[in-house]
Amino acid sequence: MGVVTDILFIALATALINNLVLTYFLGICPFLGVSRRIDTAFGMGCAVTFVITMSGTVTWLISHFALVKGSPLVEAINRLAGAQVPDLLFLQYIIFIFVIAGMVQLVEMYVRRFAPALYRALGVYLPLITTNCAILFVCLTIAREARLTESFLAALVYSFFAGIGFTLAIVLMAGIREQLETADVPAPLRGPAITLITAGLMALAFMGFKGMAG
Amino acid sequence: MAEASLPGAARRFRYGILDDNPVYRQLLGMCPTLAVTASLGGAVTMAGATAFVLVMANIVVALLRNRLKGHLRILVFTLTIAAFVTVVDRFLAAYMFDMSRKLGKYVPLIIVNCIIICRCEVCASRQPLHVAIADAFGQAFGFLFGLISIAVVREFLATGGLLGWRLPGWVGWTVMKGPAGAFITLGVLIGLVNWLSRRKRR
Repeated sequence: MGVVTDILFIALATALINNLVLTYFLGICPFLGVSRRIDTAFGMGCAVTFVITMSGTVTWLISHFALVKGSPLVEAINRLAGAQVPDLLFLQYIIFIFVIAGMVQLVEMYVRRFAPALYRALGVYLPLITTNCAILFVCLTIAREARLTESFLAALVYSFFAGIGFTLAIVLMAGIREQLETADVPAPLRGPAITLITAGLMALAFMGFKGMAG
Repeated sequence: MAEASLPGAARRFRYGILDDNPVYRQLLGMCPTLAVTASLGGAVTMAGATAFVLVMANIVVALLRNRLKGHLRILVFTLTIAAFVTVVDRFLAAYMFDMSRKLGKYVPLIIVNCIIICRCEVCASRQPLHVAIADAFGQAFGFLFGLISIAVVREFLATGGLLGWRLPGWVGWTVMKGPAGAFITLGVLIGLVNWLSRRKRR
């Protein structure tokens, strides 16, 4: 397959067929927490997309040059110490979470400076992007799947479209919830319960995309 | 004040299981709750791993609490949790390889389980050691019961039985194994818990 078809396939597969929220249950907290209005949901989606893309590519670079077997840093340690260190992968989780926290800090400063209204609307969910499992999941997938570890471009496309998939899911959800506000929901189901059931029906609809993978 | 008659540690333990249940009341840790509850075995292993990390992180944070100040504390929490998750991940890969494969990336994702970071922030960084430990155990049991309740419903409907035992003649609902079944089961169970607690209050 050519490079272009490869990229198109990764993009489509990540955003629709393997949608992070609706097939892997990732990023459920913001998905339930900030999906009340379409514009806030869209802002959240953009912030998450940015953090995912940056973290995905930065952790790819770190893995490639410092952590995996045969990378420059590991080779250097082996040469200098004369020891046999196979890799530094046991540091992976700690380094990844460090990078993600740094990226979120950047986004937080940017949003507070240039979009104060969005900053107030997102509230506590903005710093909580650090603990959005979608981001760590994307970094780990990039570090573990051969087709992504080998190509920087594939990793970039994958992480960007993972973010797009998250944005799509949360904006669709916000659209449905704006309509739900006027619906007569039985009292015990109001709030998170009906949102989860709605998400279940959306997941059912997204299962239809599985047929496209062929 | 009925609450004041109970000592702090015991009250926090009980609260974690019932009134402040992480799954049904606080709606925390939703991602593993939905992802690993397709079968009972996976759910129990996940709850065990989370419990270990939660208790250890709470102990470390409670011991360090007088030195933690300002913005850096969240970073300290996260790095402590990440270190213990690395331990659990290696342990599962060494002794329970099949389960480790099955849970996959959801084991490292314990790092970003909001229950743990929430307990570090709300309780362990402010309370003495024994209270923090009791709180961690309470939340861990609450999480375990939450996961088990969802896993029982899903596994039963999907396969017509539990842990290898099968109801004869049951046609499994494949949808309950998938994401849609997870979302709907949790939604309905939360609704049920709300309904029950409303009735109790009346």
